[in-house]
Amino acid sequence: MFDLMLTGVGGEGVLTAGTILARAAQNEGNFVRGVQLHGLAQRGGSIPTFVRYGKKIHSPAITPANANLIIAFEPLEALRATYYANRKKTIFILNNWPHVPINSNIAKVPYPDINEIKKRIMPFAKNVLVFETHKLSLEKFGTSILGNTMLIGAAIGCGALPLKERTVRDAIKSTISRQLDSNLTAFDIGVKMGRESKF
Amino acid sequence: MYAVWLFHSVSMIKDVLEKSGKKVVLLGNEAVARGAVEAGIGVVASYPGTPSSEVPITLSAIAKKCNFFFEYSTNEKVAFETAAGAAWSGVRALTTMKHFGLNVASDSVSPVAYAGVKGGFVVMVVDDPYGWSSAQSEQDTRHYARMVKMPVIEPSNPQECLDLTKLSFDLSEEFEIPFFLRTTTKVSHSIGTVKLGKIKKPKTKGKFIKDPSRYYSLRPNLQELHKKIDAKLKNIEKKYGLKLNKIFEGKGKIGVIASGVSYEYAREIFNLLGINPPLAKLTLTYPTPENIIKKFIKDKTTVLVLEELDPIIENEVRALAKDANSKLIIHGKDFLPTYGEYNVATLMPVFEKLFKKSYGFDFAKHKKKTDLSIKGVPFRNPLFCPGCSHRSIFYAVKKVYGEKTIFAGDIGCYVLGIFEPFKMQDFVVSMGASLGISHGISRVSDQEIVVFIGDSTFFHAGMPALANLKFNDGKTPLVVIMDNSFTSMTGHQPNPGTGITAMGEIVTPISIEEVVTAMGAEVRVVNAFNQKQMTDALNELRKMDGLRVLITKGECRLVTKRKLRSRGLSFTTFYIDQEKCTKCGICTDKFSCPAIRTKKVGKETVYYIEPHFCWGCSVCLQICPHGAIKANTKAVKK
Ligand SMILES: Cc1ncc(C[n+]2csc(CCOP(=O)(O)OP(=O)(O)O)c2C)c(N)n1
Ligand code: SF4
Repeated sequence: MFDLMLTGVGGEGVLTAGTILARAAQNEGNFVRGVQLHGLAQRGGSIPTFVRYGKKIHSPAITPANANLIIAFEPLEALRATYYANRKKTIFILNNWPHVPINSNIAKVPYPDINEIKKRIMPFAKNVLVFETHKLSLEKFGTSILGNTMLIGAAIGCGALPLKERTVRDAIKSTISRQLDSNLTAFDIGVKMGRESKF
Repeated sequence: MYAVWLFHSVSMIKDVLEKSGKKVVLLGNEAVARGAVEAGIGVVASYPGTPSSEVPITLSAIAKKCNFFFEYSTNEKVAFETAAGAAWSGVRALTTMKHFGLNVASDSVSPVAYAGVKGGFVVMVVDDPYGWSSAQSEQDTRHYARMVKMPVIEPSNPQECLDLTKLSFDLSEEFEIPFFLRTTTKVSHSIGTVKLGKIKKPKTKGKFIKDPSRYYSLRPNLQELHKKIDAKLKNIEKKYGLKLNKIFEGKGKIGVIASGVSYEYAREIFNLLGINPPLAKLTLTYPTPENIIKKFIKDKTTVLVLEELDPIIENEVRALAKDANSKLIIHGKDFLPTYGEYNVATLMPVFEKLFKKSYGFDFAKHKKKTDLSIKGVPFRNPLFCPGCSHRSIFYAVKKVYGEKTIFAGDIGCYVLGIFEPFKMQDFVVSMGASLGISHGISRVSDQEIVVFIGDSTFFHAGMPALANLKFNDGKTPLVVIMDNSFTSMTGHQPNPGTGITAMGEIVTPISIEEVVTAMGAEVRVVNAFNQKQMTDALNELRKMDGLRVLITKGECRLVTKRKLRSRGLSFTTFYIDQEKCTKCGICTDKFSCPAIRTKKVGKETVYYIEPHFCWGCSVCLQICPHGAIKANTKAVKK
């Protein structure tokens, strides 16, 4: 059984990423279970999504401190996911390009820098892998959003997410209709980044 | 093309129509939709409400293809009645709603239940413990079922959502009684592998056969009908109580009784703790599954009843235990809360105690540690979408009315006005209540009041309240009808003002302006993306007496985005001219568009606009006092 958690900012592609990976897991013959926490959080709030797969699974949510892998499309959201993490087994994969919440400016609460975030996650992680996906996406495609597919690619490429590159690619094709080519390019770049990482 | 505006990005609608026998991942709500199609559904009438909305969203998208009728009704009562009429005429009908929807529908529910149905009639209600949606309380639909005497079926996961929806139609037809299909957020919004069954050809034509003994729910029929419904419930329990509810034998004398998602948590915990106690899974939870409960508790010393919200089954077990096993120790709400959701972490200590087994991990302690790790980092509150007209309206109203005015809130995306930076909803009660409550306040206080109400909410429950304001005229509040043409919060459903039906038919929209004019209001109609137009009209209306309505027109930006995208077009986006930006922070702190962001360059904070998230509303350009925001001449591809 594999317990995967995806997190990021509402409206910025977390649910789509969850759909892609749930489909890929299904197409590999798994039993899939999960839950997407929408509602008010849909617009701009934090939005954790769970995808669990294996033989037979009951609870839609991951048991706290039990995630195998946490993919965070936004660094601060990775930090907010530590309740589901455990130093014995959880790997974090995160993008290092922040989306500073409005509140940081209004309430004058500074956004911690990436090293601080990493430091705070460490006690709850077996490993923390940081990729420059969203920054690269912004430079290459003029938007940070393709960083999501890139980061998924990185998770596959480095081996932290036990799904096949081909099934995930197929799931991207069947889920994303817009900018499909760029998404696939981003995915390939991500896979390569993952392979070249030290993990 | 209509479909393009409508689908939420995570939609797995393709999968919903896959072939029989195929295994696909579906959302619980999508599985309900598939179940209805497999049951040969003829009519679906709904008013959306999270967490039930994906059922109608899915069904509306496939109605044409599958040849059944779908409508978004103006509110849940009308939806319920529409479906009931079809079911009375022998056609299988479904209505869906969130828990609050049932309050609105309730006036018609009992009489229809008494009368019974010809075609299968399923009323799907989704409860929302914890309040993930814009829920205003954690009410428990199972109480209603007992009041109106309608059977309740409760699935635990997406596969059961499909199978039990289908079964509910069969049973409803067999016993001629409407059935509640009751889920909760974690069932409706969870995904799971589902094996699909055969799709039945829908029956869409029926005939209403006059039968006063049934459809006049008045004296003297009333008592007869009451007698009949009680008998139906008895028969359902007799025939299906032991069949649909299941006992899984296990080890020991301590048993677990569970329903809904709690059953899934129980199973999960059995695995985590390595225990296998006897388990009763309740699926047909009303009429009270007396037989199975008695059978299950007979030889137990202790049972643990797992149900979210109120101790309904627990109390029924207690009553039954008096005869069946008077020494039985019954646990449930003595250990667990009546509020919020259950999960593995909340349930674990109860299992550890009862079964004298340790999981070896303290969730509460872990939570304390992780809470500490996120201490002092900025909170991320939900915001309006980039380019949302509501942001522009709140900004203008605040500019004219300041902060002392009472801001009456209602239900819709504009409820996000509660949060920073606006904080402009002083109360939120129920759909349309902004008007009624404000009227009450204005009858006893001279405080200035501004009411915010959306177009869908206006058609749903606002019209009677506005008529009342006019009828019982006092110093009335200023009413802002935020007309974005859609029922946006729940997924952009059309309403009578949209100009299109759920089946994609173009219709003449009902003009809100004409409606409120007919009610005798002083009306101004303005462009929600034009700050000056809005502030001018507000200043003018503020000086007047009597019923005053400001209608702000600005299509839901997410819909605009989808429309443009489907035509291969994109917005003109905006950027911040770094030479002119004084870093005053108005665009981020007071206006708070998610596209306007800050980054650190060296020690300096730089304000910039993320092109992908700029949906081109141009309002930031109007509010920047330094003229630093400018249009990109080249449109950015989205
Ligand atoms: C009785 C009831 N039914 C449904 C809902 C769910 N609901 C919450 S917001 C909303 C949409 C309101 O649409 P509108 O007033 O047009 O505002 P918008 O979201 O478009 O800004 C609905 C249907 C509810 N809260 N209560
Ligand atoms: S969905 Fe539409 S109405 Fe709701 S916040 Fe987004 S743009 Fe505004």
